[in-house]
Amino acid sequence: MVSLLRNQKVHNALLQVLYVGSIAAMVLAGIVIARRNLADQGITSGFDFLFKSTGWDVNFSLLPATANDPYWWYFLIGIINTLFLGSVGLILATIVGTIVGLARTSSNDLARLLGRTYVDIFRNIPLILQVFFWYAIITHLPTPRSAHEAWGFLLTSRGLYIPFPNVGSAAFAAATVAVIAAIVLPAWLGRTSRLAQPIGQRHTIQFAAAAAALACSAIILALGRLPDTPLLDFPALQGLNLRGGLRIPPEFATLAIAIAIYGGSYIAEIVRGGFKSVGTGQVEAALSLGLSPWRVFTLVRLPLALRAMLPILANQYVWLMKATTMGIAVGLTDFFMIVALTINHSGQTLEAIGILMAGFLAINLSLAAVFNRINKAIALKGNQLRG
Amino acid sequence: MEMVLVAPPAPGRLEDLKRRFFATPLQAVVSLACLTIMVFLVWKLLNWAVFSAVFTTSGGPEACQAAAGACWSVIAARWRIIFFGLYPYEEQWRSALACVAVVVMTVLSCIPAFWTGRRIALVWGAGTGLFYVLMKGGVLGLAHVGEEAWGGLALTLFIFVTTCLIGFPLAICLALLRRSELPWISRTTGLIIDGVRSLPLISILFTFAVVLPFALPQWLQGDKLYRVILGSALFFSAYQAEIVRGGMQGVATGQEEAAMALGMRYWQRISRILLPQAMRNAMPATINQFVISFKETSLVVIVGFFEILASGNAAYGTGEWRFAYVEVYAFIAFIYFIFVFSLSRYGAFLERRMSVSER
Amino acid sequence: MISTNSTGEPALRIENLDKYYGTFHALRGINLSVKRGEKIVVCGPSGSGKSTMIRCINRLEQHNGGRIVVLGTELNDDVGNIDEIRREVGMVFQHFNLFPHMTVLENCVISSMIVRKQPRAQAEATARRYLEKVRIPEQALKYPSQLSGGQQQRVAIARALCMQPQIMLFDEPTSALDPEMVSEVLDVMVTLASEGMTMICVTHEMGFARRVADRVLFMDGGEILEEAPPDEFFTSSATSAPDNSCRRCWAIDWKQRSECVTPHAFRHLHD
Repeated sequence: MVSLLRNQKVHNALLQVLYVGSIAAMVLAGIVIARRNLADQGITSGFDFLFKSTGWDVNFSLLPATANDPYWWYFLIGIINTLFLGSVGLILATIVGTIVGLARTSSNDLARLLGRTYVDIFRNIPLILQVFFWYAIITHLPTPRSAHEAWGFLLTSRGLYIPFPNVGSAAFAAATVAVIAAIVLPAWLGRTSRLAQPIGQRHTIQFAAAAAALACSAIILALGRLPDTPLLDFPALQGLNLRGGLRIPPEFATLAIAIAIYGGSYIAEIVRGGFKSVGTGQVEAALSLGLSPWRVFTLVRLPLALRAMLPILANQYVWLMKATTMGIAVGLTDFFMIVALTINHSGQTLEAIGILMAGFLAINLSLAAVFNRINKAIALKGNQLRG
Repeated sequence: MEMVLVAPPAPGRLEDLKRRFFATPLQAVVSLACLTIMVFLVWKLLNWAVFSAVFTTSGGPEACQAAAGACWSVIAARWRIIFFGLYPYEEQWRSALACVAVVVMTVLSCIPAFWTGRRIALVWGAGTGLFYVLMKGGVLGLAHVGEEAWGGLALTLFIFVTTCLIGFPLAICLALLRRSELPWISRTTGLIIDGVRSLPLISILFTFAVVLPFALPQWLQGDKLYRVILGSALFFSAYQAEIVRGGMQGVATGQEEAAMALGMRYWQRISRILLPQAMRNAMPATINQFVISFKETSLVVIVGFFEILASGNAAYGTGEWRFAYVEVYAFIAFIYFIFVFSLSRYGAFLERRMSVSER
Repeated sequence: MISTNSTGEPALRIENLDKYYGTFHALRGINLSVKRGEKIVVCGPSGSGKSTMIRCINRLEQHNGGRIVVLGTELNDDVGNIDEIRREVGMVFQHFNLFPHMTVLENCVISSMIVRKQPRAQAEATARRYLEKVRIPEQALKYPSQLSGGQQQRVAIARALCMQPQIMLFDEPTSALDPEMVSEVLDVMVTLASEGMTMICVTHEMGFARRVADRVLFMDGGEILEEAPPDEFFTSSATSAPDNSCRRCWAIDWKQRSECVTPHAFRHLHD
């Protein structure tokens, strides 16, 4: 027996069985106990509850929602809310981060100082504190009656009101797709394998594609316009309330602002790191070829920096996507809050947690997959020299 | 032939300024724009925070609200709740002392002389022990104060310190298990680490605080505070494990082979050869992780703890100080800033120093 | 327990040793027996399996077939046997593998202290003796990164000797060194050989082989192609695998090249 235990192969097999077995046992025991405890409370386990109506409301949804809707519909709403908030946050954070990051790499001392101050302040204060802060600021804005107004935008404690085109929802969705196409199409065309023309012509084709897509979007909007209404609907005070325009709820605005500012400070550092990684050799080589500073930037520094920062940026995006769960702090019904509410109202604890994990796993994996594709597509071919 | 040597004119202040900020028209525009923004922001901030601000409580909230600038009186009136939460008034000196103990402990562990496994464990063990005894009492003539009465900065620091104290050894274990040669051990551990990393921290805290009691037998449930600390430690360790593993990958394979050839057993190789080198490699990333983890401690407010953010909400949320939310949040942000900024500056310093010594 | 006084048993016996990396057959039926006090030099082109063979002897690589018996103990799956054998077999690596976070002295005492459980004073006395022997006692308190390559390799030899092993393995100990530092390391190895240590050296230093080796092995393709005392090895052009003409060319070529190398780096060894 002792000699058997001293045998390396037996030893290794035993260790593995013990480790995997004890973890599996712990998980299983937890599930068994939880099912018994829940059964004691009269909750039957299983996924039947997904088809029951919830009986409670969500305060933010892109899809139609009533308290009669079943749970599965609510989960879908939650996922879409999370993805929507996440995408808006990512885009805003990327814009902020790019501006601040460029300021930080600028040759101007003042711009660098400004950028650095921004990063130092907003990176070093917890996101949740910033969420609370912006929420307090927004909810303490004046009531609709005495709203701040600027260029048709209204800032009130009930939310932000912005002018919005008077179009049907289907037409709006189609127009959005066309705008996205205007961004994606030139990039897709820009890959060398697709167009054989020289660079100058290629740029013309890319430009034409973007313009065509934007034109499509404008035509869709014009066609989808609701009859007998002006093109843009401006919010305006009617009685005690505001009518017209698009209302962005304070909760959503809070999170989008907080994620943009906090995420922007992280992305700024990534952008700076990306540009720092471009060797001075490449820039000097480009300058010595007689390229203008702008061309050096667009043709040499930017493409190389982008490749360096993309993998880190992908991680940051995944992190920001998870940060949308802060919604629960201000009561925005994102995916996590819907799961938490489900547990409160239906008691289907294990199932809801399972759905939560599966949902975030799916979001993370698909983001990772998208970024891997982009990474592969733009990776330098062969062993070209870097840095 | 006569040569006259003319010294080049010494670059004057003005010349220098011109060269640095107004070299080209674009530069000039950027400089002026930045300058305008800066002057505007600094003036607004100073005006609000200092010149038009009210600092004393003498006028009461009404006078304060009428002022154009910041109302710092709210801090003067409510600082105790922000720092100590609902801790008994007469005992709050203990809470303050406990916070000082944690700060001293953190500063000590930033000194390279303490960077051996035993010393760092000693410093953290002693610091946390001191903190716990001071806060909880019940011995040495200190009155007993239960965890439910802890709050404010002290609670934030307690959660952070215990998270690290549990999470760090756990991270090392996870990293070792993941790099194990035994495929099932490394795969299972990888699954756990990646699974935890793919979830948001809030969902883990929520699960540990609210859901776990269902899945545990009565005798194992423990206090909600300690369950949440466990959850937060698990999350910390999943990230830290990958950092430690990265540090281990930076150690040449020959190191372990040499240790094997000298007859060292697994634990001897790990503790004497691999870990000391791996931890040194992982130091900057580790400090970064501590910084992130300290900021994320604030999330426990969501599962209902009275840490510094919640006590801040309470400080302005009740009664006559309702209007002073900006001041309270600014104050808390300032406290966080001091901790996080100094720690991250230290991390950056360490990174620079290490990259220099590698050359 | 490893018997230290049995004279009949060779120090090392390898029978039909096979080693695979995936599908690659790295060692093909190696047979070798090494008596106590014998010095073996193993040479051959890179990728011939010579390093793999000596790494199998203390289980840095796990063999897939055949037997390895070290000092009367068979190297098998028994964890205890592996530990025992590693304690009695010292190894010196191509890249020194000194522990960079410890001083030279700490490098030398650590294994005696934690593996042999010696008290620090005794371990330090032993370490200082061996550092003296490799002629760098004055560097004891420096860190490896402060030493030259030759000095580091001598420390590595001292470190292995501190465990008082009965067999020493050398895996290309001079390949990573600058030419001017090779001789200081070889000198130490020659001294060690003269004191009766059982040694197996993988090396390209043919001068060292001539001077010290009792037998020279030539390996290629995972097999031992030739095995002879140095005089015979360097004079004959026959290999033990006469049917394999291509490999024989290799061996001859190898020897000729080594002839050229010898006088340059080892003149002092022939004096």
